[in-house]
Amino acid sequence: MADIVDTAIASPDFTTLVAAVQATGLVEALKADGPLTVFAPVDSAFAKLPEGTITTLLQNIPQLSRILTYHVVSGQWTQAQLQAHPNLTSLEESPLTADFTDGFTIKNATVITPDLVVDNGIIHIIDTVLLMG
Amino acid sequence: MVPALAQPAVLPPSTHQFAEVIHRLEAGGAMLPDSPENLMQIIGLYKAYAVPMDFYWRDLLYIAERVFLKPFPFFKYFLPQSYLDLLNHYAGDSADLRIWRGEATAHPQLRAFIERGETRKMPRLFHHLWHDRINMEFAEACMRSMLWHGRDMGMGKFDAFLDSEEYRTNADQAIRAFWAKNPVMLGLYKLFPEMFLEQCRQMSYTANLGLFWEVMAPVFFEMSDRYDEGTITSVPEAMDFLVNGIFAIAGRPIYHHVYIEDKCYEIIPKSKGFMWLYEAALPYVEAVFYRTAPFRGTKSYNAQQREVPEDQKDFHYGILFADVFPVGTAGIPPTQLMQDMLHFLPDYLVDYYQQHCRGEDDTLIQLGISFQRSMYCVTSAVIQALRCALLYPLDDPNPRHLQANRDFFEAQLDRLTRPEARLRDIQSPQYR
Repeated sequence: MADIVDTAIASPDFTTLVAAVQATGLVEALKADGPLTVFAPVDSAFAKLPEGTITTLLQNIPQLSRILTYHVVSGQWTQAQLQAHPNLTSLEESPLTADFTDGFTIKNATVITPDLVVDNGIIHIIDTVLLMG
Repeated sequence: MVPALAQPAVLPPSTHQFAEVIHRLEAGGAMLPDSPENLMQIIGLYKAYAVPMDFYWRDLLYIAERVFLKPFPFFKYFLPQSYLDLLNHYAGDSADLRIWRGEATAHPQLRAFIERGETRKMPRLFHHLWHDRINMEFAEACMRSMLWHGRDMGMGKFDAFLDSEEYRTNADQAIRAFWAKNPVMLGLYKLFPEMFLEQCRQMSYTANLGLFWEVMAPVFFEMSDRYDEGTITSVPEAMDFLVNGIFAIAGRPIYHHVYIEDKCYEIIPKSKGFMWLYEAALPYVEAVFYRTAPFRGTKSYNAQQREVPEDQKDFHYGILFADVFPVGTAGIPPTQLMQDMLHFLPDYLVDYYQQHCRGEDDTLIQLGISFQRSMYCVTSAVIQALRCALLYPLDDPNPRHLQANRDFFEAQLDRLTRPEARLRDIQSPQYR
C-alpha cells in the first residue's frame, strides 16, 4: 500500500496540494510512520481561494506550512470514530470539528470521499481549504 | 437533457433588530448602505488615510527595528531617508504582490508635507516643535491598544509567543547587544529584566502594526485610484476589493527584527509562521475598531459607577462606537488622526464638506464621521472574509448553510446593538 504522499501524487486531483507539500518540505513528515489523518483538499478547493492567496503563501513557506498542518491530525481517525469523537486538535494546534448533521463535514468543508486508508494513516478528501479561526 | 440547476435556498426574513443590514450582508453588501454619496465619502477618506498611514508604517518599523530600547527617543519621529525610501512590499515594480500600481517608496504628497507641513519650509526640528507634522502619537496609541488588549483576546499566536521562553531568549540577546557598550543600562537590565522585556514586547507590537499598515496603505491608494478611474462604482465593489485583498495578503509574515550595528537580531523570526490575517489584522480590528480605551479629554467615565466595563472584552471605545467630537485639545488619538487626514483630503471631499453643516469650521467632525463610515465598510469586509473563510458561499443551495451564515452575521451585529454603536446612525445620510 502507498503512503499519504504517494497516494496524493498518484491522484490527478491533488496537484496543488502536492506542490504545496513539496514546497514546504513536509514530504518527510507525511511519509513518516504516523499514523496521521489528513483532510486533503482537491485542486478545485484551492481554486476557490481569491486570487493572490496561494501566491503569497508560496512566497512564505512557514506560513504555508502552518495552513497545511492545519489539515493534519495525529492518529488514524475514521469516519466512524469521528462520529464518536468529533473534536480534534490539528498539528497546527488549532481545533477542528467534524459534523454529521448534514453528511460528513469538517468545519465548512464537505468530505467528498471518506476513509481512504493508506500505509501510514487515513485520508478524507474535502472540497474546501480549511482555514483557522 | 439539460440538468436542472440547483435552486438557491431562501430563508425566512431575519427578526434581528438590524434585519435590513443582515439581509444586505446576505446579498453580498456591506453594513454601510450603497449610495454614490457614501462611496465618495469612504473612498475619499481611504485616500486621506493612506498618506499618513504611509508615514505610520515606515516610522513604526523604524522605531521597532532601529530606535528599539533607547530610553529617551526624542528623534523617533524623525524618519531617516532610508525608511522614506524603503520599498513597500505591495506597491511598485519590486512588489511581492503588486496591489497598488504606484511607487513603492514614500508617497509624493507625504514627502511634500514632511518638507513644508501646514506652514512653510523650515528645518524639521521646528516643524516637530510646532507640531506641524504627522501625528505618530495616533499610531502608537493603536499599537498600545493592541498590546493592552492582546493579553486576553486569544486571537492568533502572537501574544502568547511574547510570554514564551523562546521569545525571552531572543529578546535577551538583542537587549544585551543593544546595550553592549553601556554598563549602566546593562546593570539596570540585570536588576529589572522584566521592565526591559515589557518594553521589548511593546516594540514587537510596534513591528506588528507597521507590517499590518504596510499592506493597508497600498490597498487604500489603489482603491482611490480605481474610484477615480471609474472601476470601483459601488460600496459592495469597494468592500469586495478589500475582501480579496485580505485573502491575497493573509499569508504575509509578521515578525520582529532589530538591527544593531547592522547585525539583524530576529526576536520574532519569520519562521514562526505568524500571518498577517491571524496575528495582525484580526487582533487590530478587535483592539482598535471595537475596544480601545476611553480617551482622556473626550468624556469623563466613572469606573465606580460601572461606566467602564469590568472586563476588557466588553470595552467599546473604538471607531465603530465613537462619538466623533474633536474637542481640539492635544493628545486625543482620534483627533490626531482627523488632523492628519485633513491635510490629504481629495478636492471632491473638501467641496462636499463645505456644502454641509458648518463648512470649513467643522470639517474635522464631518471627516471623522466619513471615516467612521469607511471603517464600517472595512469591518464589513472583515466579516465577509471570515464568513468566506469559515462558513459558506452566499449562494449556497443548502438552507442549513445559509442559516449558519445568518447566525454568524447576527452574532457579529449583536456586538453593535449597544446604544453607543453608530451602526444605526450610518444608515442615514443625515448623520454627518
